[in-house]
Amino acid sequence: MAATAVHAGGGLADHIHPEPQGFVRKYVFSIDHKIIGIQYMITAFLFMILGGMLAELIRVQLMKASGGLMTPETYNEVYSIHGSTMVWLVIIPLLTGGFGNLIFPVQIGARDVAFPWLNMLSFWIFPVAGLMLYASFLMGAPTAGWTEYPPMSLQGQAGTSMWAAAIFLIGVSSTMTGINFLVTILKMRAPGMTYTRMPLFVWGQFVTAPLLMIATTALGAALAALFMQREFGVAFFDPARGGSPLLWQHMFWFYSHPAVYIMILPAFGMISEILPTFARKPIFGYKMIAFSSCAIAILGFMVWAHHMFTSGLAPALQVPFMVLTMLIAIPTGVKIFSWVATLWGGVIHMTTSMMFAIGFLATFTLGGITGVFLAAVPFDLHVHGTDFIVAHLHYVLVGGSLMGILAGLFYWYPKMTGRLMNETLGKWAFWLFFIGFNGTFLPMHWLGMWGMPRRVAMYDPQFQGWNQVASWFSFVMTAALILVLINALWSMRNGKRSGHNPWNARTLEWQIPSPMPYYNFKHVPSVFAAPYDFAEPLPYRGLEEELTGAPPPVPAAH
Amino acid sequence: MESYEPLPENRDPVVHLDRQFWIVTAVLAVLAALSILWWIWAPITSIMPEAVDKAQEIDALFRFLAASGSALFIFVCGYVLYFSLAFRRHAGTPENAVGIQIHDNNKLEFWWTVGPTVFVVLMAIFSIRIWYGIEIAPGNTLVVEAIGHQWYYTFRYPNVNGEVKEMHLPLGQPVTLHVTSGDVIHSFWIPDMRLKQDMVPGLINTMEFTPTRPGKYEIICTEFCGMFHGDMHSGTKENPAYVYIDQPAQYAAWYARMERQQANASNAITAPASNQLKLAGGDPQAGAKMFATKCSACHALGPFDQRIVGPGLKGVLYDPAHPQLVDGDQATPENVAKIIENGYKGSMGQMPNQTANALSNKDIVNLVAYLKTLR
Repeated sequence: MAATAVHAGGGLADHIHPEPQGFVRKYVFSIDHKIIGIQYMITAFLFMILGGMLAELIRVQLMKASGGLMTPETYNEVYSIHGSTMVWLVIIPLLTGGFGNLIFPVQIGARDVAFPWLNMLSFWIFPVAGLMLYASFLMGAPTAGWTEYPPMSLQGQAGTSMWAAAIFLIGVSSTMTGINFLVTILKMRAPGMTYTRMPLFVWGQFVTAPLLMIATTALGAALAALFMQREFGVAFFDPARGGSPLLWQHMFWFYSHPAVYIMILPAFGMISEILPTFARKPIFGYKMIAFSSCAIAILGFMVWAHHMFTSGLAPALQVPFMVLTMLIAIPTGVKIFSWVATLWGGVIHMTTSMMFAIGFLATFTLGGITGVFLAAVPFDLHVHGTDFIVAHLHYVLVGGSLMGILAGLFYWYPKMTGRLMNETLGKWAFWLFFIGFNGTFLPMHWLGMWGMPRRVAMYDPQFQGWNQVASWFSFVMTAALILVLINALWSMRNGKRSGHNPWNARTLEWQIPSPMPYYNFKHVPSVFAAPYDFAEPLPYRGLEEELTGAPPPVPAAH
Repeated sequence: MESYEPLPENRDPVVHLDRQFWIVTAVLAVLAALSILWWIWAPITSIMPEAVDKAQEIDALFRFLAASGSALFIFVCGYVLYFSLAFRRHAGTPENAVGIQIHDNNKLEFWWTVGPTVFVVLMAIFSIRIWYGIEIAPGNTLVVEAIGHQWYYTFRYPNVNGEVKEMHLPLGQPVTLHVTSGDVIHSFWIPDMRLKQDMVPGLINTMEFTPTRPGKYEIICTEFCGMFHGDMHSGTKENPAYVYIDQPAQYAAWYARMERQQANASNAITAPASNQLKLAGGDPQAGAKMFATKCSACHALGPFDQRIVGPGLKGVLYDPAHPQLVDGDQATPENVAKIIENGYKGSMGQMPNQTANALSNKDIVNLVAYLKTLR
């Protein structure tokens, strides 16, 4: 009868099960979204260490125009795996599986995601695929970059097929995560949590989820075709047998351009949480920020061929792709202006998290501006395939996504551990990272314009000076990231205890204890407004017992 | 706890921007104006000469982009820095102090949506005008073909048999450059021309420009093409990767020399000048390779009905269902050679002629030999 009462009283949201007790069920094969989120983060940060080491190998190689550290073959393997790691094993898992899993279900007042078992499966595919990707080194890793254009990838070493299989699996994991998150946000919001009351981080995940679902299938098809041609000789990309190498480019970018937004929209969401919290001000233009995310996601499906302006696209196609790409500047600009306006008139608490968020505004803006340059076909004809592209993509992926991730790490760390990260170490890390990052990638803009191509193991000696500058600054950036890692490990035991809401934030995850308890809420709360009115009482009802010693909810009897 | 009161809709306080804000804005405006002036004046050509007409236009576009981009960047970063410092919480501020509780401002948001929209439209118009000039060929052009190989470039000139290893262009003569590849994807970039096209096997990409400045310019590959991709710039002694823009007289002398040299070279054929090729002795394997780079973009190797642009060419010389060629002639090797030579324009579409495809006579002989093997 008790079970019936729970079901009848609270509906699906109150359907709960007892907390698992064994170590394996609790921490390894867990179905708790928070544990899965942390598992994603730990795995992704481990891969980030590997990918970062590969990045430093690249920078050391490029300190000399004649190369020298590695053979061209090894160098090609290194940058291919560096790119694949950072995109598929670090940024995407951190933003969706990691921070997404950990935070957004609590922010909408849910007790878990819609499909917890699917969530567990999504996670466990990820480390397996990651190990497969690195195992490709044993058979001769792919050498044609993370984009693996045929015909080069068809001639690549045996590991290229392994790479395709690994990325395919990652794609399966991403697709399942997308479905899971979308259903969760559509169906499991707490009473009163309307779409215009959702925190903007939830909006970020809400818009990203369909991208994960739809775009990744195109990548899966492309990878399957590549695998079939490599292993069984099916002529998808062979012009002599009726195929076309451009087919791969279309399919790959049909995924990989939306993937750019998969890698930035959740970071936009994080910034939209962190700025108002530390400025003690409502986010400026909530509706425009949410709406512009949708606009970016929709436009993101219509611009893939701007990666192919020099590939031999029909001239009639270039103009629409150019204009649509430029249009993305409008919603992106709206976001940046809204964030800047959020700072105005605030009472700004300059925490490490806030510093990373403010740093993001500067570096992401630069990456966005060079993105508009690249949309203009005539200019793209000059810089396509050069270091300018490398600079642009790192400004959006490191200066954008990774800055957002670091801001989020300092911000939400207490929700995982119940302790704060060290602020002094954190601020040192911020300044080292900010200086190191800009010093590494800013010179690549002019290097590319002057004639330095990307993906080269040796280059014209006239570019050696600026390449050395970039390399030295990259060591500073790496030092900063090591400092963050040390900080995170040290603070786990030694950090200051945070309490449930160290930042006086207003979203739901801060209204429950840190670390967050199993099942998140004793009672599912009701929501009355968006969470950004810092001068008002909290817009929630039903949270009175969350921080008291009241007993946890009674599990449904089965 | 039924105490939650819904907030009124229009609850934002009226905001006045203070003097300090306008002073900062004025300073940023001055900095932005200076950056715009810098990009208008910046001595780009002293670092990178403009070798062709299109380079000047692309540089003008770059100046426009860089000027507007840096002005925007100065405003965003300037305000971020100013707000971060001016509104920083001071030591004495109470822990529960909050900022000014404004949520939005329709007027402001309208203008910062319309502003970028206008800018994007301007940029699109500017870009499309330049793009149009790059894509659309002026009349009377010199057609040259560049072919990428691992890891060097070769070139084909009309009436020069075979491939030459240097690229020479006459000053002031409009050029149509066809680029393609003999193996994997390469890219053909001449930084001093600000132009680039990928060299894709089975596809012919086009560049249109007019050389405006004599000199020797480096060609660089920017599409990963294998082990020595990084060496595919200035090139080696055997395979120099340079474009020479010559005075017309110099160019004519070089061209005449090439014509002579290549005519005597072993791969030249003793072809009669009367468009009557001797089709004997063609090499079907060389023809197959040529087919993959020149023909396969439009012709499949499947049966007639497998059309890409033109019909599939399997059994073109033996197909009882199609005893005639598209021009009504009998499907004989000689007539096929004639179509390859002259091209075709009609109901089925358009096929470029020998010159536009940069095919030597020997190439045509090889191609016909190859087509004979397709039964």
